[in-house]
Amino acid sequence: MSKMRDVSLQLKISSIYIITNLLVVLVNIVLIVGINSMSGRLDMVYQDNRHLNEFSDAVNALQDDMTDYLNVKTSDSLENYYRSEQLCRNMMADLNEEVTGSVFDRMERNIRHMTEVYLDEVAKTIEAKRGRNVEKYRLHYENATRMYDYTDTYISDLNMEQFRSNSERYSELQQRFRLFEVVSVAAILLVMASNVCIIISFVGTVIRPLKKLSSQADEVAKGNFKIALLPVESKDEVGVVTGAFNSMVLSIGRYIERIRESMEAERALKERELLMEGHLKDARLKYLQAQINPHFLFNTLNAGAQLAMMEGADRTYDYIQKVAQFYRYNMKKSEETVTVAEEIEMVDSYIYILNVRFAGDIHYEKRTDESLLSVEMPGMILQPIVENCVNHGIREMGDRGVILLSLYEKEGKVCISVKDNGVGMSREIIEKVMSGTYREDEMATGGNGVGMDNVISRMKLFTDNENVMEIKSEGRGKGTEVCLYLQI
Amino acid sequence: MIHIIKFRGKKKRQLHEKTKAPEKRFSGLTFLPVFLTAVCIISTGLMAAYILWFYQGSYQEETSGEKYDRYYIMITQDDKSAFWQSVYEGACERALQENVYVDWLGNDRFQDYGVEEQMEIAIASGVDGIIVTASEAEEMTALIDQAAAKGIPVVTLYGDNTLSARCSFVGVGGYNLGREYGRQALRIVEERLAGTTETLVVGTQDRPVRVTILVNSYTKGLDQNILYSGIQDTIEQERGDAVIELSLHSVDDTNAFSVEESIRDIFMEGDIPDILICLNELNTTCAYQAVVDYNKVGVVSILGYYISDTILNAIDRNVIYATVDIDTPQMGGFCIDALQEYHDLGYTSQYFTADISLVSRENVDEYLRREERTENE
Repeated sequence: MSKMRDVSLQLKISSIYIITNLLVVLVNIVLIVGINSMSGRLDMVYQDNRHLNEFSDAVNALQDDMTDYLNVKTSDSLENYYRSEQLCRNMMADLNEEVTGSVFDRMERNIRHMTEVYLDEVAKTIEAKRGRNVEKYRLHYENATRMYDYTDTYISDLNMEQFRSNSERYSELQQRFRLFEVVSVAAILLVMASNVCIIISFVGTVIRPLKKLSSQADEVAKGNFKIALLPVESKDEVGVVTGAFNSMVLSIGRYIERIRESMEAERALKERELLMEGHLKDARLKYLQAQINPHFLFNTLNAGAQLAMMEGADRTYDYIQKVAQFYRYNMKKSEETVTVAEEIEMVDSYIYILNVRFAGDIHYEKRTDESLLSVEMPGMILQPIVENCVNHGIREMGDRGVILLSLYEKEGKVCISVKDNGVGMSREIIEKVMSGTYREDEMATGGNGVGMDNVISRMKLFTDNENVMEIKSEGRGKGTEVCLYLQI
Repeated sequence: MIHIIKFRGKKKRQLHEKTKAPEKRFSGLTFLPVFLTAVCIISTGLMAAYILWFYQGSYQEETSGEKYDRYYIMITQDDKSAFWQSVYEGACERALQENVYVDWLGNDRFQDYGVEEQMEIAIASGVDGIIVTASEAEEMTALIDQAAAKGIPVVTLYGDNTLSARCSFVGVGGYNLGREYGRQALRIVEERLAGTTETLVVGTQDRPVRVTILVNSYTKGLDQNILYSGIQDTIEQERGDAVIELSLHSVDDTNAFSVEESIRDIFMEGDIPDILICLNELNTTCAYQAVVDYNKVGVVSILGYYISDTILNAIDRNVIYATVDIDTPQMGGFCIDALQEYHDLGYTSQYFTADISLVSRENVDEYLRREERTENE
């Protein structure tokens, strides 16, 4: 059966056609042979009678020839007699000699013997006639004629008996013939019905996968790719098409999946960009809120600086210059990627300004690895952290406050540490700050409005990493260290 | 590219896994055409078997009948009677045991031919033995001698031809049969004298009891004479005071229907006998019918010969006084025995006598029951 499934559709269809036709031909051959043989038997039924009639004719001819010879005694009649006698003997030899249970056989046997006696008497008659022995040939003639009568009667009897029997047989044969006809018609009908069933069943077998295929194709056409794969039942053309269809459905499904994945990635990317932009905008807004008119301020500060220089007040000039530099940095660099050096410079300016403001209360130290100064980072990151140190850490400490800024490499990352010796932070506050849920009155602190959550978010977006900042504090009064981590 | 290769591998595996399950379903569906094809082949085979059966049937028809060692022919005068049928059946039964076949020549063929002509046919047929109901006619003697000369043994049955070269005679003990008839006749006379039948005063000198024996004109010969003398002797010896007149009536059996006419003549003539003794089945049946037709039941007592349904019923109805049952199958068997013995040994017993028994009102029921049983079987 598996072999059958492997053959091509063309071969399948052809073979089914051939098989059904062969069946019909086979049945027809059987029927024709049957009909021929039966008609042959019908022809043979009366053959015995024909033979017997021929034999009877031969005996009659012999009797006539003998009588003719006795009458005219011509050589022609003698020749006829010999011919008839030979014919009779030949035909007699065909008659049965055995004693059997069949009455016809026994009758044939008796006829054979009687014919022998008759032929003998006829021969004697002819011989006596040729010898001109009148008395003797008359006697033999009488015997021969009597024997002829008996034989003829016997043959007629046998003929009649056989005819009766043959007639019965003939009618029996005819009945069988009729029955055979019925059987034949039934057989033909049966074969025809079977052929129809075979074809219907076969066509069904061939069409079934096609139907399934078409319904599945319909589903696919409607856009449903989540259909069950069709079983490949055969290796014929339908099987190949089914396999190809399955592959196609699978391929399309996979491609769609891949497209969906890539679209999702793109969407996430865009989302990140938007978020970053949003945070920057937020930072800038907060900054703008914090200043009145920076340009006016710059100009004012520049005017002040020039005035200080003209008056020879170098320290004032320096101060005003630093303040102006600080704000300019804020204006320019807040939306750009900057280097660590620029950020540190910004912190330097900020501390200088504060120290001028608060008469050098803050002790500021720097420990920087020069090789790391060119590393890039988002702008406006360090200043808000230092601002927090000053505002929350060491504000109340007077001139004892110390801020240590370190730049070093740690475990393949650039670490910027801002450490103070201020009031420190509790663990809860650290966690709140790290998770971005810590809120305070920003304006009250007098900062530039850029909060720690903004710093953390921008760092995360920039590095694409979650671990961008660490806040360490050993408790109340033990200072705080904020560590930023950047990729090299 | 690597991705595609991997993907294909996966796909193939998936397809393979999915195609495993429907295998069974497929084979289940393909079973139908296989089954139908089988039906076709079986039907064709049945048809072929039918044709084979047809041939076998006709072949058996043609070749029925086994071969036999010898072939005998039986020739009788009166062919259709139950008596001869029974003899023939007895002969056949015995013959088949010996692997011999017996044909009854006159049964349905050569009915128009006489016994002598049938003898000629039998001789010319070169049979192995002839059983013939002979007469003492010279022609018959010559034919029997002719057969013997050709090496065909002849057994005379029922009627003998003593002068011929027949090898054996199978018949009924004529004298004993005659004595039985005589005794039955005397019983009738006794019954009548005792007044059981009051209509007649018989057995006196003025009105002697008339006993008529029906003899066949064709087969008139020694056998009938012996029988007659048996009757005569018995009556002479045992009649006592009764006066009994014994006579023979010759029945013309030369023509086909003359027997019946000949018997009816007795009743037409007026001198109707008191007791009619019939010596064959046909005569008995004809006499019985005549007595009924001429309303002579009780007036004429019939002593019949052999048993047939008609005769047994007639005894039951008191029309026939008694009949003689001859063991006919035994008779037929004796014929075969004699011929077989002659073939095997070159000689055989000259006489075979079949057993006889009397059937009268006393035991007719038993016979009727037996007949009924045979018919049912």
